Amino acid sequence: MREITYLQGIQEGLREVLKTDPTSVIYGQDVGAFGGAFKVTEGLQAEFGEARVFDTPISESAMLGAAIGMATQGMRPIVEMQFADFITTAMHQLLNNAGTRHYRTGDAVPMVVRVPSGGGTGGGPFHSEELETYFCHMPGVKVVYPAFPSDARSLLLSAAQDPNPVVFMENKTLYRSVKERVGDDLTALPLGKASVRHEGDDAVVITYGAMVHEALRAVSELHVTEGYEVMVVDLRSLKPYDLDTILAATAATSRVLVVSEGWRTCGYAAEIATAINESAFHLLDAPVHRLTAPDVPVPFAKSLEDRYRPAAADIVKALRDLIEL
Amino acid sequence: MKLLRLMIQARRVDERLIKICRQGRLRGSAFAGIGQEAISAAVAVASQPDDLFAPCIRNLPLHLGRGETPLGVFRQALGRAKSPTGGRDGNVHYGRLDHGVYTMISHLGSMISVVAGGVMAKRRQGKDTVGVAFVGDGATSTGDFHEALNFAAVFDIPLLVIIENNHYAYSTPTSHQYRCHRLADRAVGYGIDGYSADGNNPAEIYITVRDILNDIRANPRPALLEADTMRMRGHGEHDDFKYVPETLLQVYRRRDPIRMGIRGMQAAKLITDDQIEAMELEIADEIDRSARQALSEEEPLADTLTQGVYRDA
Repeated sequence: MREITYLQGIQEGLREVLKTDPTSVIYGQDVGAFGGAFKVTEGLQAEFGEARVFDTPISESAMLGAAIGMATQGMRPIVEMQFADFITTAMHQLLNNAGTRHYRTGDAVPMVVRVPSGGGTGGGPFHSEELETYFCHMPGVKVVYPAFPSDARSLLLSAAQDPNPVVFMENKTLYRSVKERVGDDLTALPLGKASVRHEGDDAVVITYGAMVHEALRAVSELHVTEGYEVMVVDLRSLKPYDLDTILAATAATSRVLVVSEGWRTCGYAAEIATAINESAFHLLDAPVHRLTAPDVPVPFAKSLEDRYRPAAADIVKALRDLIEL
Repeated sequence: MKLLRLMIQARRVDERLIKICRQGRLRGSAFAGIGQEAISAAVAVASQPDDLFAPCIRNLPLHLGRGETPLGVFRQALGRAKSPTGGRDGNVHYGRLDHGVYTMISHLGSMISVVAGGVMAKRRQGKDTVGVAFVGDGATSTGDFHEALNFAAVFDIPLLVIIENNHYAYSTPTSHQYRCHRLADRAVGYGIDGYSADGNNPAEIYITVRDILNDIRANPRPALLEADTMRMRGHGEHDDFKYVPETLLQVYRRRDPIRMGIRGMQAAKLITDDQIEAMELEIADEIDRSARQALSEEEPLADTLTQGVYRDA
């Protein structure tokens, strides 16, 4: 066993794909010799050569279009968007060109798009966005979002084995802050399986990405201060998502808080809340609550971004309101 | 002869589609490529089996030349269960990868990078593939046109991007689309070769395309070709194209590619009137049978609506 960071987890997943799948390539802006804006691909070009890991022009749409072309001709492209925010200039390639292709033609489109996501880094409006709702809204596209190094590694493998376009969301604040002891055995994790990160029966927090860690901090604080036992469910896959685990957690706790770093209106948290209401309304002791970012652009100043982005203290307060309702 | 046959076959399929559309039996509109047949027929004839293509709206001869049948085309336009897209998509959005033909999306310019990526993959597999992407004059104004050409140039991808300049993007004339003298001149900005040709002259466009494809197949890099032509009908049959001056249509009516092709072959004594008549009869017979069959077939079952969004792992 050895300790790796979230970033190392992604990198080990990428290395494993390059090693085991000779049709795989990694490309994006500055991912080659430079190793990427966050150094996720550092060393991979030196190890696997410029044909397997290479830089492209700043052309998000051409990058994704080319990935569709490669994927339909026997290759396995893994494309890095430098920041999630920049994929919006190529959304049609994902929604219309990749996502509709299998339905219309029956052709498999096995491609992975890595999108470094989320705020809390002082990145301002265009280097902080959390866009899972956009991706999850697209028919034909799958979305995963690991919160831990071992999951990042395993989900990268699963994404690269899936015959569909998969958006692999990775949270920038977790790259170096989250560590985990792991073995050397790399196995793919089935998509669509959530993980219960903390047991409890007073309430459940259903969340994903960086908010899993905020939730874990919140529930341990609530345990110390009030003695509450709160379950934390880490969704890991956002589309498809693990409705069975969500409903089991609802049945076990009867009080549900959904936490998302994304925007509120029509956001991913609304989807989860609705799914619970449709299938498990009779199990609830309180309405499903949402804690999300407000519907404002991601602000730059620390004072503003601290207020903007849900954190452990906000989750503590929301849980208290929910449990004591 | 093969080129002429493809042009005539495509023209007769389009005419039948227009008829079916006018009878109110088509779903949506018909999008004819009448008057532009020479360009994609030339590409089909000049191509090799491993080549890849991103056709656009008016490239029926390419589909037929790469192996699609009139029956498949009619099924597609009618949204039949047996259509190339199983009724999930319609009109001109079809193609089969085993023919090397990508199914387009409606976002203009967005398929250029797809075929570029496909060619990259084939070349890595040791094939001598070249790609051909078709766009109109309108698509040259999109960001995707620029991104893809630059991308292909940086990676020396053997990809011919053909601009079929048919003077109108829906109702917008080229004077409102760009300010440059020739669109082919844009090649300079990408560090690639640009060519212009008469897209209504079958012999000229065929020789031009053939030579470019031979060249980029041997020395991989993209190229840009602007082919002058004219859209002789509306954008679709719903469009009365009153915005096109009759004088302009008259010029191109005299330069109809099928007429030019037949005259050229007659002058060179490569074809007789009897051969033309026999070809027309054979094509008419196949089209009539295909149209009738497609019209008689079923649409996909509504219960299949949610099937096939994802490929099973």
